[in-house]
Amino acid sequence: MRRPPIYGLLAEFDTPTELVTAARKARAEGYRVMDAYSPFPIEELAEALHFHDRRLPLVVLLGGLFGGVAGYALEYWTSVIDYPLNVGGRPLHSWPAFIPVTFETTVLCAALSAVLGMLALNGLPMPYHPVFNVPRFALASRDQFFLCIEATDPHFDRVITRRFLERLDPLSVSEVDH
Amino acid sequence: MPQVFHRSTNTFSRVSIFGALFFIAGATYGLALINRSAYVTEAGVAREQPIQFSHRHHAGELGIDCRYCHTTVERTASAGMPATQTCMNCHAQIWVESPMLEPVRASYRTDTSIRWARVHDLPDYVYFNHSIHVQKGIGCATCHGRVDRMNLTWQEASLQMEWCLDCHRAPERYVRPRAEVFNMAWEPPSNQLEVGRELVHEYKIQSLTDCYTCHR
Amino acid sequence: MSLPVIEARRDRRPPIIAPGHTFETVTDRISRVVLRRGTPRGWIVGFALSFSLMMVLFYATAVLLFRGIGVWGINIPVAWGFDIVNFVWWIGIGHAGTLISAILLLLKQEWRTSINRFAEAMTLFAVACAGLYPVLHLGRPWLAYWLFPYPNTMSMWPQFRSPLIWDVFAVSTYLTVSLLFWFVGLIPDFATLRDRSASRVGRATYGMLAMGWRGSAQHWHRYETAYLLLAGLATPLVVSVHTIVSFDFAVSVIPGWHATILPPYFVAGAIYSGFAMVMTLAIPIRKFYGLEDFITMRHLDNMARVMLATGLIVAYGYMMETFMAWYGGNPYESFMVLNRFSGPYWPQYWLLITCNVILPQVLWFKRLRTSIPALFGVSLIVNLGMWLERYIIIVVSLHRDFLPSSWGMYAGTIYDWSMLFGSMGLFLTLLFLFIRYLPMISIFEMRTLVPGAHVEEEAP
Repeated sequence: MRRPPIYGLLAEFDTPTELVTAARKARAEGYRVMDAYSPFPIEELAEALHFHDRRLPLVVLLGGLFGGVAGYALEYWTSVIDYPLNVGGRPLHSWPAFIPVTFETTVLCAALSAVLGMLALNGLPMPYHPVFNVPRFALASRDQFFLCIEATDPHFDRVITRRFLERLDPLSVSEVDH
Repeated sequence: MPQVFHRSTNTFSRVSIFGALFFIAGATYGLALINRSAYVTEAGVAREQPIQFSHRHHAGELGIDCRYCHTTVERTASAGMPATQTCMNCHAQIWVESPMLEPVRASYRTDTSIRWARVHDLPDYVYFNHSIHVQKGIGCATCHGRVDRMNLTWQEASLQMEWCLDCHRAPERYVRPRAEVFNMAWEPPSNQLEVGRELVHEYKIQSLTDCYTCHR
Repeated sequence: MSLPVIEARRDRRPPIIAPGHTFETVTDRISRVVLRRGTPRGWIVGFALSFSLMMVLFYATAVLLFRGIGVWGINIPVAWGFDIVNFVWWIGIGHAGTLISAILLLLKQEWRTSINRFAEAMTLFAVACAGLYPVLHLGRPWLAYWLFPYPNTMSMWPQFRSPLIWDVFAVSTYLTVSLLFWFVGLIPDFATLRDRSASRVGRATYGMLAMGWRGSAQHWHRYETAYLLLAGLATPLVVSVHTIVSFDFAVSVIPGWHATILPPYFVAGAIYSGFAMVMTLAIPIRKFYGLEDFITMRHLDNMARVMLATGLIVAYGYMMETFMAWYGGNPYESFMVLNRFSGPYWPQYWLLITCNVILPQVLWFKRLRTSIPALFGVSLIVNLGMWLERYIIIVVSLHRDFLPSSWGMYAGTIYDWSMLFGSMGLFLTLLFLFIRYLPMISIFEMRTLVPGAHVEEEAP
């Protein structure tokens, strides 16, 4: 596929309500490849964009399971197999005493996979991104709300899409360079 | 304009994060290697001595028994270093003019000990006893290597605790018949584990991994 | 309809954010503290004082390393002294951050928003101070990595049946997870600072830390999931940490330590001291930086209530120790309690009871809960009381145990005291750096509290 001449079109809105409405309308118009940008999480936005990703909880579950199994296995292998040490006649496999460390490694690995999983699924770190080329986009981390319809969308047309976005009553519409 | 970074920083940041992971793993592995290397343990490094004494010549080519010089190895903790008198037993009659042996003769004349450079030096918190190892069938060469092939002597093993425990946790892998302890050329038989287990039983070799076995 | 009545009832409490704020005022007010040109003189003076105090810690540590732990007052029988007292005290203080961030998040307490960032930073710095002491107590601190399981040249592994190893795992996991939690919370704010910083260095530094955060809806969606999961993980973790610290004592057989009440009473004490420390720090900072709009009386009132509740749990713990000493019929236990009441350390014990049980009861009165000087005073008193509690638990139990022939006395030396005050210097130095270079209130979460933040659904 040839690379389109621009990355997409970016419309700026003043309130979260306008952004959510605009996202719903764009969706109804048939646009699929788009993203919305806001200075704080807006629950309705993911829903308006029909965005569902259930992979992260699974990643965390697997990370936690790995941590728990690995922690317990480490304790079992070191205390029973590799370095059996008689401490006051207590059993080598003293499982109740192994629980605290197992718990800690479970939490540690689950937390690490939550953070690293979130960053990886989000494709971060990505210090350079085309939307940053729009000067007004600096306000996306302050008080403005943006909707970007990307040029890879099959319905995208530089003129028609622009006209559509302007009908949504935004503060501004700008082209996003690559 | 919020675009702070150049396009290439995307690749750069990901590569550096992944790179850091590999770098840390590699550095950790490298440290473990250095810790076990001759640089730290001094294993395999021939030690300079005040006199160029060759075990290869005396023990190997001439076939002098270990115990001729290291007299207390079967009875005490220390194997014992020979007095200058032991050297002079022979060197009063052979190589009497050799300039190489002048320090030995000087030591004998002035009644001062030769200051050998110690090759095997365990930390002071480790209690080690030669006699028990010899009595239980651990050969000289098991720890000291083929001393009969060394010109200047070096330390064969790392002397790290993992090396001690390697045998203490499973002595049947290294034990040999008592008669072969001083035989430098003894090779373990193909059924060493089997023979070893019998010897462990016969010599009543006990569990040796308590802390206080060595740290008293 | 009864709706207006409910509204009226809610309005009686002070708001969690002063009225009239918008997205831009919230953003600008908080980021201005970091991005302003020039550093306020008050900051420089405070930082210089903290830094000097930190140098005292470094000096005492250097002496300790050169001369050995003999410079401390510890002896036999009192082999644990200031070092472990300070460790438990700091780690207890370090509990409020995660509690505020995680547990109050799960309980949907919106008032946590303006104090969570700050409390999390406090947690990190307190845990860093805490971690110092057991490591220095090792005697050969440069070998502290021996505590972790790794394939070493000794062919040995840590003893997993010992609570001291559980401690290593609990404290290091807590530090790591707190750091992750704090960092994840900071990412969107780093993006704000990147976009608002006037200097190239600032843009590049905050930009790198923001990792290219652009507030995409997909990112927010996963971010919120991750944040919630982290909160869910941190909640049992925070309870486990002080439980495991209490195991250091409870798993032993020393009278006064070997008690099943220890874990819950340690956790309550940790929250008690943590909230006291948040209060001690929040009151001057909100005043100095004019952040009364964000850390309102409502916050102080709520924290005072939490302190009152946890203080009562701690008081219950003291009561149960005394009761069990009598009811259990163990002569060593009852001696331990009598020795606390009237032994050589009786002044410290009764001062502890005064600080932790008697004086904080003033928080029952609303007039005092809304008086800044009273709250500040109570928070300082509780900090002192919680330090004394650990001193009593550790020193009084050890100095007279089973054998009268091995009884002894304990007192901290000049080095013990310099390390205690020096670690406060370390803590405050880190805190001063934090409030200068990072947003001390979570900007993006504050935006969600602004009235316009809710999406108004059109009537169908």
